Amino acid sequence: MTVLVGYVPNSYGEAALSAAVAEAARRQERLLVVNMSRDDVLADAHRAGDGQLDRVRRDLGELGVESEVRRVEEGSDASDALLAVANEVDASVLVIGLRHRTPVGKLLLGSNAQRILLEASCPVLAVKPV
Amino acid sequence: MSHSPTGTREVKDRAQYALCAGLALLGGLLLFDAGRIGHTTTTNDVVGPRAVPIVLGIALIVVAAVYARDVARGGHGEAEEGEDVDLRHPADWKTLGLLAFFFLLNALLIDPLGWVISGTILFWGSAFALGNRHHLRGLAIAIALSLATFYAFAIGLGVNLPAGILKGIL
Amino acid sequence: MDNLNHLLQGFGDVLTPMNLLIALTGVIVGTAVGVLPGIGPAMTVALLLPITYGLEPTTALILFAGIFYGGMYGGSTTSILLNTPGESASVVTAIEGNKMAKAGRAAQALATAAIGSFIAGTIGTILIVLVMPQIVKFAVTLGAPEYFAIILVAFVGVSAVLGASRVRGLASLLIGLSIGVVGIDFVTGQQRMTFGVPQLADGIDVVVVAVGLFAVGEGLWVAAHLRRKAGEVIPVGQPWMGREDWKRSWKPWLRGTAFGFPFGAIPAGGAEIPTFLSYMTEKKLSKRPEEFGRGAIEGVAGPEAANNASAAGTLVPMLALGLPTNATAAIMLAALQGYGIEPGPLLLTNEPKLVWALIASLFIGNTLLLVLNLPLAPAWAKLLQIPRPYLYAGILFFAAMGAYAVNGSPFDLYLLLGLGALGFVVRRFGLPVLPLIVGVILEPLAEKKGRQSLQLSGGDISGLLGGPVAWVAYAIVVAVLFWPLLAKLRGGLGGDDDHHDAGTKAEVAA
Repeated sequence: MTVLVGYVPNSYGEAALSAAVAEAARRQERLLVVNMSRDDVLADAHRAGDGQLDRVRRDLGELGVESEVRRVEEGSDASDALLAVANEVDASVLVIGLRHRTPVGKLLLGSNAQRILLEASCPVLAVKPV
Repeated sequence: MSHSPTGTREVKDRAQYALCAGLALLGGLLLFDAGRIGHTTTTNDVVGPRAVPIVLGIALIVVAAVYARDVARGGHGEAEEGEDVDLRHPADWKTLGLLAFFFLLNALLIDPLGWVISGTILFWGSAFALGNRHHLRGLAIAIALSLATFYAFAIGLGVNLPAGILKGIL
Repeated sequence: MDNLNHLLQGFGDVLTPMNLLIALTGVIVGTAVGVLPGIGPAMTVALLLPITYGLEPTTALILFAGIFYGGMYGGSTTSILLNTPGESASVVTAIEGNKMAKAGRAAQALATAAIGSFIAGTIGTILIVLVMPQIVKFAVTLGAPEYFAIILVAFVGVSAVLGASRVRGLASLLIGLSIGVVGIDFVTGQQRMTFGVPQLADGIDVVVVAVGLFAVGEGLWVAAHLRRKAGEVIPVGQPWMGREDWKRSWKPWLRGTAFGFPFGAIPAGGAEIPTFLSYMTEKKLSKRPEEFGRGAIEGVAGPEAANNASAAGTLVPMLALGLPTNATAAIMLAALQGYGIEPGPLLLTNEPKLVWALIASLFIGNTLLLVLNLPLAPAWAKLLQIPRPYLYAGILFFAAMGAYAVNGSPFDLYLLLGLGALGFVVRRFGLPVLPLIVGVILEPLAEKKGRQSLQLSGGDISGLLGGPVAWVAYAIVVAVLFWPLLAKLRGGLGGDDDHHDAGTKAEVAA
């Protein structure tokens, strides 16, 4: 069983990562960190660079957490990608960072978090940065 | 040189022959058209209107032949790379067909329906062809863009864009 | 200095609040479009040119100057923030610029590019002011045979020098010349290659060709081979430079300008060569050569200045001789003709106000670019996060809009699609694009001068020989055409298509 966390290189992603580490320790399960990079834009703000992913690996290594860090580069929808991975590894919990979207914002820009919450087949832990 | 397996190389080479044929055809067209023009020279203009088309026509046929010989020897041009281009897969004809379709649709509809409508269709259709799945969002952006460009350019700067059936409303 | 008075008056004409607003619009729109992938400055100008058609000439020129410089800056922004640039003259900027950005120095890279462009643009425009009268004096001595010979140099230069294979370059040139033939023969009124289609009687507009070949062609090509990976977003703060950066940049700026301007002015010069030269020079001269390849600021400062200076340089033969030497110049020529300016040696005497207004608008556009785009750089960076479907749909949208606006006729849209298909074919088979567009642009002029030469000599082909200038030009043509043959005879080299160098990319000249 695996704790799956959707990671993005900002405060929401970092918050999710910390919560996921704690959760993995509590459940005594491995941790899978996934960063999704869209393939339909030239530059994706949510794409974690190689340097950033290496840093995450190092930090997790220092903490002694049994973990894997992956980047998904196909697909244009982060929530789809994350849900697909969750099914693939049979995640026991999905950890995501939560940012506030107004109703209008959700209408125009969509909400990955909402889709994940509604469609995940496993429990979802939604975390806000402190 | 190309790193693709010989199968792909051969397909590429043969396609180049089509280009050579096209060049020769163009040359033939020029010669044919030149033949149609009467030979009109005056003291003012010694060569007449036929000279350049004839020269070009012959040159094209010659170049087509030399090109074909180069292809036969294994020559090929490098297809253009770019930041958005992934040449490992063959061309996506479906997308191209859809784009051409919407482009032609715009050409047909722009006068009767006006730029705002036909431009919206063009933008939405192109985005759809290129993989956009947020159809409502695409439509909203298309309408906004068409209206904005119409007001800014047609009305603001006097650019020649038709109002079509929305004349009087806009 | 009479010129100075004229220039000041030009500034007077141009510096009104309304006109400044127009300049601002031009810079903003130009930069935004220039940032888009696959859209170089030439294309930005071509795409946006039709929006200037409805304006007064002076206003139109101001808008145009803003678009022109904006487009160049937009392209640099893309090449620094993404690893691959929008057009081949920015290849070099991308080498060091992107490395700088990845190392967290995006702000400095953008700043040195912007300031270098500004300096090069300003110096370049000053050089235009100084050099033009001399060139005009030379130009009036040119007879039809000399013109014809110089154009032949341009033809041979673009098709045989750049690009991987002469056959392909020649094929491209011939296609371009054939497109140029379409229309009414100016002497006899005969319709050529129109096949009874009335809309073709006026020939095919250069702007439609440029937009079709470059914008639509690029759009279709990308659509067929859409890449599947994004680049990461590099955080861009406000562009700025520290003292050290200034110290290291100012000489490359000047050297880059010195490289760029002459190359812009010669036929088939363009911007690729001087940017490469500038890069090589800066690398040689640098006190820190090991930094090159890892983010050396000199490698951005020099080439960017060269790029802009080259663009300014292209204006000299364009204004003085009416001779466009690359795609950007060709589109500018079409623009000027649209405003009723007929470039050539008599331009300065006939339309001084307009010319000085153009030059003044270049200065102003250049300045506004710096003032505006340094703070706005982060916003431009955001444009790169727009999903590709919208970006390319946008390109097709603006292309269609512009092409229709040229004549108000849907026929031009069909033509645009056809030319887009041609652009696709050209990219598919690796034919260089530059000879094609140069062929289209220069065919009417070449034919006119050629026939005039023969007319002057009464049909005797020696009429083409003219004076010493023509002889030199012909000698260059022969040398370029037959060089590989001589080399082959001497050294037994392989065929003429073994150099697949970087210059093979579709030659979108800056």
